[in-house]
Amino acid sequence: MNEESRVIREEELHAYADDALPPDERAFVAAWLADHPDDAALVAGWMEQNRKIRTVFEADFQSRPTDREMLNSGRGSIFLRNRWASVAAAALLFASGVISGSLATSLTAGDETVAASLPGEARSAFLIYASEVRHPVEVGADEEDHLAQWLGKRLDYPLTVPDLSAFGFALVGGRLIPVDGRPGALFMYQNAGGQRLTVMLGRNEKNHDTSFRYSSAGSIETFYWIDGPVGYAVTGEISREELQRIAEECYRQFDT
Amino acid sequence: MPRIPDPQGIEAGASASASFEGALLALVPALRRYSQSLSRTDADGEDLLQDCVEKALLSRTQWRGFNLRAWAFTIMTNLHRNRHRTAAGRPTVEIETADDLQAPDIVGDPLERRRLRAALDDLSADSRAVLMLIVVEGYSYEETATLLDIPLGTVMSRLSRARRRLGERLAKDNVIPLRRAP
Repeated sequence: MNEESRVIREEELHAYADDALPPDERAFVAAWLADHPDDAALVAGWMEQNRKIRTVFEADFQSRPTDREMLNSGRGSIFLRNRWASVAAAALLFASGVISGSLATSLTAGDETVAASLPGEARSAFLIYASEVRHPVEVGADEEDHLAQWLGKRLDYPLTVPDLSAFGFALVGGRLIPVDGRPGALFMYQNAGGQRLTVMLGRNEKNHDTSFRYSSAGSIETFYWIDGPVGYAVTGEISREELQRIAEECYRQFDT
Repeated sequence: MPRIPDPQGIEAGASASASFEGALLALVPALRRYSQSLSRTDADGEDLLQDCVEKALLSRTQWRGFNLRAWAFTIMTNLHRNRHRTAAGRPTVEIETADDLQAPDIVGDPLERRRLRAALDDLSADSRAVLMLIVVEGYSYEETATLLDIPLGTVMSRLSRARRRLGERLAKDNVIPLRRAP
């Protein structure tokens, strides 16, 4: 078929509005839209809808102190039917420290800075994905260049994938994850013994620089730091000393 | 059999249920956002979230051990669809009453939120789920088809219908009715 005579299908217009087209097809649709004002108006309308919908619901991506209680109360026969009355009880339990454990995740909400939520989110991501046997990553190490490019595009930040082979950790791959409600990147590594660690990057303009910090929950250790508009967190179930060396290496490599 | 050697194998059995809950807990923010995007009010959204968490805990044995997020999203979508079917015979909670139930503060413009939700409430449950999975949760068309167990073509037709309907509805909302003098 001749390029000139090719008619754009509606599916392609949707994919354009959702930024789901490969670059060459995207350029082709863009050229079509330049010549077809009706379609261009339609697509512009959809993109505006997308923006509106995301703006309205992105703030709902939050943890609340009652979340853990919600999980606990769902078990067995003691499920509290009066959900709203249970909020106070949960707060009390939470405050008294009855609920604790190694699986602490970010329980901060709202306007907390990324520096405060970063270690919690990094731990959550580690817990979820490091235990995945079959699908730990979206894009595998065999596509390292694509991985860096794709995640860099979503974060709007040029990315390099750290090389941790000096520590015996090889790249498994990476995925797109939400960090503080925005697109973030997660790289996963594994050593010969099957131990995994994750390197997480999250972008947020509100960030302020921090020094290297350390956070631990149970056996899971996280080193994190904020450098300009990007927060970094290195998480693993390995010794603090080794993880620190790895985190410092990541810091060096991201710096270039 | 897991292909990955598991040096923590001894702990794995004992912590299996704990890690399921830990992973589910970590998913709650994403589930909350999805439940809110499907729901008429904040209270309805929080209710849907709780039902989903409860259902996930009860049917944890049906989880095949990978992609907990997609699994939980599927549960939520089904719960939402079922509610929507029965909603006709159910008295709706007045918005003001519902707001009273909701303690946590919502960031953003409440008016815009209400306006958008009113428009989204016009969509079928199925179309709304498709639109939100793609736009808010960032699933690809193919992933959405897998998650909802429907053909790709159905995803596209629902997406198209949702966008047209929403466009009409939002355009209509821009019309400001003039108040007649008493």
